[in-house]
Amino acid sequence: MEDKRECYLMKGNEAIAHAAIRCGCDGYFGYPITPQSEVLETLSALKPWETTGMVVLQAESEVAAINMLYGGGATGKRVMTSSSSPGVALMQEGISYMAAVEIPAVIVNVQRGGPGLGTIQPGQADYLQATVGGGNGDYNTLVLAPASVQDMADFVDLAFQLAFKYRNPTIILSDGVIGQMMEQVFLPPVKPRRTEEQIWEECPWAANGHRLKQRKPNIFSSLEMEAVSMEQRNIKLQEKYELMRQTEQRSSTFMCDDVEYLFVAFGSVSRCAEEAVTILRQEGHKVGLLRAITLWPYPEKELNRILPTIKKILVCEMNSGQMINDVKLAVNCQRPVYHFGRMGGVVPSPDELVDAMKGIIFDKN
Amino acid sequence: MTREEIIQSENLVMAKPRLMNDTTMHYCPGCSHGVVHKLIAEIIEEMGLEEKTIGVCPVGCAVFAYRYLDIDWQEAAHGRAPAVATACKRLWNDRLVFTYQGDGDLACIGACETIHALNRGEKITVIFINNAIYGMTGGQMAPTTLVGMKTSTCPYGRDPELHGYPLNITELATHLEGTAYVTRQSVHNVMAIRKAKAAIKKAFTNSMNGIGSNLVEIVSTCSTGWKKSPVEANKWMEDNMFKFYQIGDLKDVRR
Repeated sequence: MEDKRECYLMKGNEAIAHAAIRCGCDGYFGYPITPQSEVLETLSALKPWETTGMVVLQAESEVAAINMLYGGGATGKRVMTSSSSPGVALMQEGISYMAAVEIPAVIVNVQRGGPGLGTIQPGQADYLQATVGGGNGDYNTLVLAPASVQDMADFVDLAFQLAFKYRNPTIILSDGVIGQMMEQVFLPPVKPRRTEEQIWEECPWAANGHRLKQRKPNIFSSLEMEAVSMEQRNIKLQEKYELMRQTEQRSSTFMCDDVEYLFVAFGSVSRCAEEAVTILRQEGHKVGLLRAITLWPYPEKELNRILPTIKKILVCEMNSGQMINDVKLAVNCQRPVYHFGRMGGVVPSPDELVDAMKGIIFDKN
Repeated sequence: MTREEIIQSENLVMAKPRLMNDTTMHYCPGCSHGVVHKLIAEIIEEMGLEEKTIGVCPVGCAVFAYRYLDIDWQEAAHGRAPAVATACKRLWNDRLVFTYQGDGDLACIGACETIHALNRGEKITVIFINNAIYGMTGGQMAPTTLVGMKTSTCPYGRDPELHGYPLNITELATHLEGTAYVTRQSVHNVMAIRKAKAAIKKAFTNSMNGIGSNLVEIVSTCSTGWKKSPVEANKWMEDNMFKFYQIGDLKDVRR
């Protein structure tokens, strides 16, 4: 049968822009930063305001951009931004405010090496920032980690669906490899933007000035003068996060049926690890890969499901060891967990991962 | 005459605006905020925009503005109200979107957002309460604190060598291409209140008609922060604030 899907060759950043328009996004607000500027550039070239009516605005800073998401999201619109590590650091205040008052929005972080201004080369060192809050206070955001240009295209709509399902900011934690590389991608089908009536139906909580008779005003404020009232808000949020933990874990496995030595990776490193598994399998080692797709909530159920045959675990990341904490918590000391990381923008090669895995396979301890 | 005979609609000379909630205000005696809230409530009602208005409140003394006016509100992070309002207006362009900000919020931490939203010509109104002091945190120096004026963080008076100069951001806003109407008003007597109301109404009308960005500064008193009685504060404002912050329209592209 002929494949009717629309197939293109494009960068991950471009795929984000195309997917945003196609999934009925109402507004994009962003500030240029390498390696993700193609998102705003592609949107500006495609002029969606003339077709779908989507708003595209270059903000004066990442601080302004995230607060535009706060304003737009609070009115019930599907709004998103994208940036890279130093810019996302600036957005943490706004993300905390949005989590506090349960505003849905999508934030794409095409990570680069840090700390500080760092480098424009790919990195994964914002893992902890994304998965344990990042701003002030107790809160969590849903975190999706794409590993291909196809994922970049598919995760935009998924992120919006999750953001609105839970009224929570959702982060797409990508990296410079996925943002910059070109791959074949099937673009998602075109979905119209919601009408005002549909937004009122879906978002009765929204503060968009629409006052149905008898409706009390919708107010977004995270301020409480009484500690007990603030604690009650926190309890409500934690109940929501627990529901998300139970419901939204996502992961994929590769060669894990009889796995004894497990790679755990996310994003672009999971692609290197997949190659390393193939090489090691050819040499007769029972090696597999667990790729975390949601980084928060962490896919601990799947990790524990495949745990029985596993002897050792090697966590590979482009950072000094951040996801390894979640792996250790998930296996709860039942298996030894090792780490291999490159930092500051260095992308590991499959051969490096092969050598690292052989190191722990042949280590008698 | 019985009480019932007196309470007749034809005898009504003044009433609380319908959009003012029956909530006890936290503002201090003599503070200008309450008067400005009332004017905004009256104007929204007169313009029939109760079901078309999004207010964005600041961090500062007006942080609880959403308790007092019966409209949809969004509480912005400190200084970010113009960015929040930008998205609201761009995504809902038939709505009245206004921010309500104090001097610290608008002219200090939010100066970048304020200038860029105004310069882009966002079709919003920015209400700017300038009392030259940080009221909520207990009377610290503001970007608009006058030279020589005493606050808890310039207890010997604002010294330009030590603290820099007061920022006349409203004057600055007149030079931005995106602003349509920039005015400075006060609410310390009946005449001033009437003029301030006309100014806010003009700004709101421009916003609804898609005419540029609109900035209405209200030079205000903070009797608590200034450590004066409400009457003394009004006098001090007239004698000192009005010299540096002159009252009147600074820019009106429609005139």
